[in-house]
Amino acid sequence: MQIWKLAIAAACVLGTATAQAQDIRIGANLPMSGPNSEYGELFSNAAKLAIEHINADKLLSKKLELVIEDSQAQPQQGVVAMNKLVNVEKVPFVLSAFTAVSKAVAPVGDKAHVVTVNGGAIGPDLAELGDYFWNVIPLVNLEVQAMAPYLVKERGWKKIALVYVDDPAGEAIRKELDTHVPKNGGTMVAAIQVPRASQQFSGVAAKVREASPDLVYIASFGAQQAQIAKQLRDNGVTQQLASYSAYSAPTAAQLPESKGALYTTQVIDWSGDALSQRVAKDWKAKTGKEPSAYIANYYNAVLIFAKLAQALEKSGQPITGENLLKQRKTMASFDVVGGKLTFLPNGTVSVPLQVNETDGGAGKAVKANIVVAP
Amino acid sequence: MLAYLTNLAVLISINAILAVTLNFVLGYAGIFSMAHAVFFGVGAYTAAVVAIKLGGGLLLATGAGMAVAALISLALALPALRVRGEYFVAASLGLQMLAITVFSEWKAFTGGIGGITNIPPARLFGFEFATPAQYLVLTLLCLAAVLAIVRLLVRGSFGRSLKAIRDNETAAATYGKNVAVVKTIAVAVSSSLAAVAGSLYAFYMSFVNVESFVLDTSVLLIAMVVIGGVATLTGPIVGTMLILLLPAALSYLPGLPSTEIGSIQQIVYGAAMVLLMIFRPGGVWSLRRGQGQTR
Amino acid sequence: MLLLQLLINGLQLGAIYALTAVGFALIFGSTRIFHVAHGAAFTIAAYLFWWSFSKLQWHWLPALLLASAAVIAFGVAMERWIYRPIQRHEGAFFTVFIAAFGMQIVVQNAVGTVFGRGFETVSVALSRAVPIATGLYVAPVALVAIGAALVCFVALAWFLTRTQVGTGLRALSDNPDLVRVFGLDPTRLSQVAFALGSALVVPGAALTAVTQGINPNIGAHIMLISLAATIVGGIGSLTGAACGGLLLGLAESLALWKLDAQWSEGVTFVILFVFIIFRPAGFLGRPLGTK
Repeated sequence: MQIWKLAIAAACVLGTATAQAQDIRIGANLPMSGPNSEYGELFSNAAKLAIEHINADKLLSKKLELVIEDSQAQPQQGVVAMNKLVNVEKVPFVLSAFTAVSKAVAPVGDKAHVVTVNGGAIGPDLAELGDYFWNVIPLVNLEVQAMAPYLVKERGWKKIALVYVDDPAGEAIRKELDTHVPKNGGTMVAAIQVPRASQQFSGVAAKVREASPDLVYIASFGAQQAQIAKQLRDNGVTQQLASYSAYSAPTAAQLPESKGALYTTQVIDWSGDALSQRVAKDWKAKTGKEPSAYIANYYNAVLIFAKLAQALEKSGQPITGENLLKQRKTMASFDVVGGKLTFLPNGTVSVPLQVNETDGGAGKAVKANIVVAP
Repeated sequence: MLAYLTNLAVLISINAILAVTLNFVLGYAGIFSMAHAVFFGVGAYTAAVVAIKLGGGLLLATGAGMAVAALISLALALPALRVRGEYFVAASLGLQMLAITVFSEWKAFTGGIGGITNIPPARLFGFEFATPAQYLVLTLLCLAAVLAIVRLLVRGSFGRSLKAIRDNETAAATYGKNVAVVKTIAVAVSSSLAAVAGSLYAFYMSFVNVESFVLDTSVLLIAMVVIGGVATLTGPIVGTMLILLLPAALSYLPGLPSTEIGSIQQIVYGAAMVLLMIFRPGGVWSLRRGQGQTR
Repeated sequence: MLLLQLLINGLQLGAIYALTAVGFALIFGSTRIFHVAHGAAFTIAAYLFWWSFSKLQWHWLPALLLASAAVIAFGVAMERWIYRPIQRHEGAFFTVFIAAFGMQIVVQNAVGTVFGRGFETVSVALSRAVPIATGLYVAPVALVAIGAALVCFVALAWFLTRTQVGTGLRALSDNPDLVRVFGLDPTRLSQVAFALGSALVVPGAALTAVTQGINPNIGAHIMLISLAATIVGGIGSLTGAACGGLLLGLAESLALWKLDAQWSEGVTFVILFVFIIFRPAGFLGRPLGTK
């Protein structure tokens, strides 16, 4: 027993003795395995592309490196991964995703003064997780505020049924819809909750049919949202479908049963400037697919780190979480993919939104440049 | 590096408390509970709520957790009195699955899947346990206390009654052992001490949610007890260390994708359970003593 | 109409649960082995079916045959290489249970590593529901499920009552030694029980892949339901296990009428718990003295 323990300790020390003092390291706490690994791959590849560009352009004095830990999109796993990044890898900056996970890991980062940046999660509570938690994606309260008048007033779908996942993200969306749909003259005729791990929705479809809505809003993510759409259609629900930015993931957006579904995302003009064009070109070359807003967000998160770190290096300060936060408050605006991004004091952003319609491919914008007051 | 080892040591100590308390009912009393993670969870949630809503310190939070766990353990004691073997396993499985539903859905108390965040550090007589090193000392002290309690109970007449009931319940009843009382007390003691581990866990992680208290956790605890050695005092601790050091050891194997380490850990202890049951049901600890099948 | 719709959904679900429960009850009833690795057999069957049908694009018949062959091999191997050695030594309930559970963990994680831990579904035209009345949609797959269950049960009943091996199986649970006296080999019969019981998961597994989708944890979930169905129906009665499965499927589906989906899972376990406390013998089981 003693020998085994000593051996492991020795191995640990040897392992970390390959000192990485040569590189600058940032962390990523993303779902690399499990049902939501599709997002983890997407986000980490976007981050890696940014790192490639940053290293090629020599923005920093040393090489930038990404340390990825697996959160499996579950809060507990996320906390364990965050502890590892903060206490063992000692990174000053971590990329995060998923509302429930982010809410769980934010206190860890806050206590250790490590900056955590979210580029994919949308729960409005993410605005209140402290100074060290930043969001580069507009939160869903803005998305629903933009979508509600469009669906109810402009397109005339007054009765809305909601199918939402039992999770902080789903609940946040329900709360927003409950506020904004009536405000615009519509009614929420049903709000049906589904468990995170559920794949069977014929009962849900029956309840939706019973409620006779004009439109069904799906608030889920990952493989589940595609299954909900498919099974609704399979079980006789013919009404219009709507969702939020998570629906831009390929499994949902390219599902045949999703044809004609509407969903909001932020506006990203990939042909707008040289940076955006470069990212779109390289992403397409690497993956063979068109980039989506998620790609821009995680690319931007890393780019913003590089710009902050660059400024810190110039003024001779060490790259720590505290200094990054101070620097961000000084700089406030950054030229990133999609144009200029400005942080509000609470660490969120307000950018123009658009409504997209699925068409089996990359989707097309049907109403662009909706500006919502935060 | 030191931070990593300290963290590992704290987690091992907390799990060791759970394994020792599970062994108390499983190994000594023959009550095959698949629901031990439930009491872990009850202790954790209660401590978190007491700390946040009532501003309670370590003693109040843990005490509350122990009381609630002992109360809920009646839900396990009741089937234990009525049935044995397969039926009891099924009842405890039912309790575990029901608990998961309650933990996920009683959002007012447990925060649902989002869980409870921002739990303040543990406070004992004004002293705050803020660093992992301090926590390690705290958890080791608690582990020692739990071991002492279990040892006292097992070596005394209560322990003899337990073992008698485990080996032959009808005979034990004939000899005048009050089976119902002994079983209920055993389950209550085991559950409330498991709640101590829950309280420590909640303060340490500053975050609790249902994922830490699912069926996989109960199964992991059973593996720790079985692999280490049932009905021995040190066996569960050996089992806990073996199972928890495994992922760390595995992460140094070349070519192993880090996302698969969790799976491989489970495959290893699953296979260990199978092989041990065929060749050495007494567990790893019995191997060292050269006792062979000690049951 | 909602209630009727949920009832039909419940029958479909209940048919799947009944099939798996009967397989478990057959093994447990004949050999008295608490084969919790039955869930692992289900996982293997489901994933092999999905992989060969969806990924390799085989016709459904060879896909089913592949799944059947694999689970029969699994069941027989469990009996020969794991349960029998344990029973030779001491065969305490605890030892057998832990070994079976260990196997369940190994299979669940091996499947997750090999096939991925996400959710998979098999897309077929059969799952597209057709309206047969206003507000009532039935997918052909529901009829397939109920039909498959009926066919399997009729075939099983015939086998158990009309063939020598089948009769031997029924005798095995009563008195293994007497079985030997009549010239039948209990070991051989145990293997038949495992082979047959494991094979019974295949229709349920294929139907689950088509209707609900699968993930590596599905085996544990199904195992719990089979266990609950066997106890509710009564240990020792195959009809009881089938009825128990049907009841649980109906309860889970009908609970949706008033409760959220998360609570409907809890309904199954409340029913199990109530039965264990008040009537451990189940509906049709032999009354047992609590040991």
